[in-house]
Amino acid sequence: MKDEQLREKRLVYYQEDVEQIEKLLQEFLKLSNAKAIFLIDKEGHLVSQEGATETMHTETLSALVAGSFAATKEMARMLGESEFSVMFHQGKRDHIHISLVSDRAISAIVFDEQTTVGMVNLYAKELIVKLEKIFSVASKRINQEHKMEEGYSESVQDRLDDMFKE
Amino acid sequence: MQINYARKEISCKLVYYGPGMSGKTTNLEIIHEKVPDQHKGEMTSIATEGDRTLFFDFLPLDLGQVRGMTTKFQLYTVPGQVYYASTRKLVLQGADGVIFVADSSADKIEENLESLRDLQANLAEYGVNIEQIPLVIQWNKRDLPNALPVEELEKKVNLFNAVTTEAVAAMGEGVLSTLKIAAGLILDRLNAKEPGAAPSAAAPRPVKAEEPKKEIFVARVNADMISKTYFNQYCQTQYRLSSRTDDVEDFKKFSVDEKKRLLESLLNHALLLQDAKKRGVAATKEEIGKQLSVFARRFTKKEELDAYLVRRKLSMDNLTNEATKNVIIAKMISDVIPDLSDRVKITEAEVKEYYANHKDRFDGKPIGEVKDELVARVKAKRKKSLLDEFFQILREQAAIEVFEQNLS
Repeated sequence: MKDEQLREKRLVYYQEDVEQIEKLLQEFLKLSNAKAIFLIDKEGHLVSQEGATETMHTETLSALVAGSFAATKEMARMLGESEFSVMFHQGKRDHIHISLVSDRAISAIVFDEQTTVGMVNLYAKELIVKLEKIFSVASKRINQEHKMEEGYSESVQDRLDDMFKE
Repeated sequence: MQINYARKEISCKLVYYGPGMSGKTTNLEIIHEKVPDQHKGEMTSIATEGDRTLFFDFLPLDLGQVRGMTTKFQLYTVPGQVYYASTRKLVLQGADGVIFVADSSADKIEENLESLRDLQANLAEYGVNIEQIPLVIQWNKRDLPNALPVEELEKKVNLFNAVTTEAVAAMGEGVLSTLKIAAGLILDRLNAKEPGAAPSAAAPRPVKAEEPKKEIFVARVNADMISKTYFNQYCQTQYRLSSRTDDVEDFKKFSVDEKKRLLESLLNHALLLQDAKKRGVAATKEEIGKQLSVFARRFTKKEELDAYLVRRKLSMDNLTNEATKNVIIAKMISDVIPDLSDRVKITEAEVKEYYANHKDRFDGKPIGEVKDELVARVKAKRKKSLLDEFFQILREQAAIEVFEQNLS
């Protein structure tokens, strides 16, 4: 892989984008009455979260959502579909609604009996259109150079050493 | 990899690959066991009844803030068994680096090779060349009686000249060193030189007519880039506001050293304003108006102020921006230095000392006559040093980069 390709694969989120995203997610929660929402990139890294997420293992949840979405995509491919854009898991108390946001992110919405899957679906569709707009603007922006401070890599390795000693 | 400037966070994906039973999950388990709680999340395993990985194992590591960026590694393992080929491929998506855990046993050579070629093919499906991605091969199970010598493994299995390590993962040996090397390889790439980005003596590349003019930046303060245009405007305004004369073109003669000094103050202000934004500190209209009226007191009539602005080629906007900045700075100072009023209390002795050291500034007037001015100066000095202290703290946490070659 050339360096240039590698840079394109980096997902960079700037302050202004994330601020807009957070606002949209908060709005969505108000409208839909869902418990929590996560925006996750397709590689499984969490981008943003809103709502009652304190008790959830958000990092792990993000990895699992991205993994299960990838698996679903593979299922779709085998059936001759390009992608299933929405997934829904129903539980006894909590449910999760997962949908694709443009080509780079996934939204995962956790909700309970305070609302219905129909409501969630309705507002999620609106939300996704808005999010896609933000992503499209962001992706057109000239990719600014993002260099880390000198010695960053070494400092990370030192930190790993310390962690194992503690 | 995700770089999130809003959360000041870097998140990398590292995948443990290799044949079945080579010790990939064991690597993760050891890391999970040794790393203190505040640095790790829950380890998750999607496994079959036989305890073999079905989809992936996952362990999030949070290294905390490193040089201003919260640094995270998401560790994944793939299922080793041959028949889980499709899930193996899925886990590789977006991987920033791979640790290939090889079994050192003499009878596992073929399995190692098969898995390595499988890795190569799966990466290729994502458009990634195995020789280009950060790859570390871990020769695991070095304690086995039938373990092949490392030289032989290198020759037979290390097809792509990867960095290699030795391990007995089950005993915890070599697990950290492998992880460290992989982390280093991944992060070193972040600062890999951009082709053509470094100033060079080579002829500039021809610019296509439709290519928009590229903005030149003088510095980066965290996520904010400071353009040369903005910096020049800043210098100009500062000069026009503070110059003793009305010769407003003087700023063009600024030396590089002066520009550096101005850039330093701009960086401090940018940092402070970023911090203010995070804390929700903002200036109200009334506060800005009050600050402006303090400035306007220098003039007896509105016409005088207007004439001053014209002479200095300044606009009301320039003044308003400056006033806004000053209000926010004042608010931030009282916000972050809560005991400010105590700390700027000065003693008689300090005033006397200042007077003694700066006698020439007071035209030989006795101390009693210039007491008020003296006190104000000593206070201002103290305030400035408190502010500098705060700037120092901000700067230590910030990611600041200056492109000096663009200053002149």
